[in-house]
Amino acid sequence: MDITTFISQIENEIEELTPGSLKPETEFTSLKEWSSMHVLILIALIDTEYNVTITGADLQQCKSVNDLFNVVKSRV
Amino acid sequence: MTAFHLHNKTFLVTGASSGIGRQVAISICEMGGNVVITGRNEERLNETLSMLKSGENKSIQAELLDEQEVQRLVSALPLLDGIVNCAGTVSPYPIKFLSDKKIDEVFNINYKVQVVLTAQATRAKKLNKGASVVFLSSISALHPHRGGALYAGSKAAIEAFSKVVALEFFHLQIRSNCIAPAMVKTPMYDKAEAQGTKEQMDAHISKYPLGAGTPEDVANAAIFLLSDASKWITGTTITLDGGFLLGGL
Repeated sequence: MDITTFISQIENEIEELTPGSLKPETEFTSLKEWSSMHVLILIALIDTEYNVTITGADLQQCKSVNDLFNVVKSRV
Repeated sequence: MTAFHLHNKTFLVTGASSGIGRQVAISICEMGGNVVITGRNEERLNETLSMLKSGENKSIQAELLDEQEVQRLVSALPLLDGIVNCAGTVSPYPIKFLSDKKIDEVFNINYKVQVVLTAQATRAKKLNKGASVVFLSSISALHPHRGGALYAGSKAAIEAFSKVVALEFFHLQIRSNCIAPAMVKTPMYDKAEAQGTKEQMDAHISKYPLGAGTPEDVANAAIFLLSDASKWITGTTITLDGGFLLGGL
């Protein structure tokens, strides 16, 4: 898996994000309108695409997109 | 003697290896009743059995997702004065990621198992006249949450099913009702908390005037519905929400 694909998958699923706006260093909580719905979408996306289980607590540990990418990659 | 007691009555409790099911079994015995407990995990089921202080109780391990296992369970059952259906699961998932597999995961446990068990138990005439059937619904059946399409849908389905049970068996004075709790402190609560964050859960519970529920709170409502004290109540749902749906906080 590579981070470019990972980012475009997230941008594709979270309609509020402008394509191209998400960077590896972007912090989730800095995103406008970040909500519990987006947490659900991330968890389901990662489960569906990578067959990896991520919990809310995992997400809390991950500040940036890159942090999350590394967690998923380590569990694939 | 008070109509709230359960002396000389025997009940089947599903999902009895933990959480609400375990507590319902314990509370039934405390009120003088006997239980047959069932669940998937034999070890945890035996733990529940060892926590029962009185009564003639037994434990039958069964995987209720398998119809033949339900058959085996039903044929081993004594005559019952009621069933408390506590087996259930929660798995928040946004609509656009749902699939056949996801639907089955939730609906099989939260709906299909209860339907097949009720069908087999009634056909085999395992329910005495005047028996009481209780299903665990949730406030989300009428007040759903994001990610709850399957959970809320399955609970709404079980509420409708319970009403049909009430209609099809009233000639035997068999009653059927649901209990719809809000958040209760069980292993399922911990699972829901892990799927979100502790802060989210704490923020949610802060909207409950009486705080989160306990398994005992739910078990007490089940005791009432199983007892003759509720003999004029059928086809209804009792909401247990600590005041959450008042919406005042």
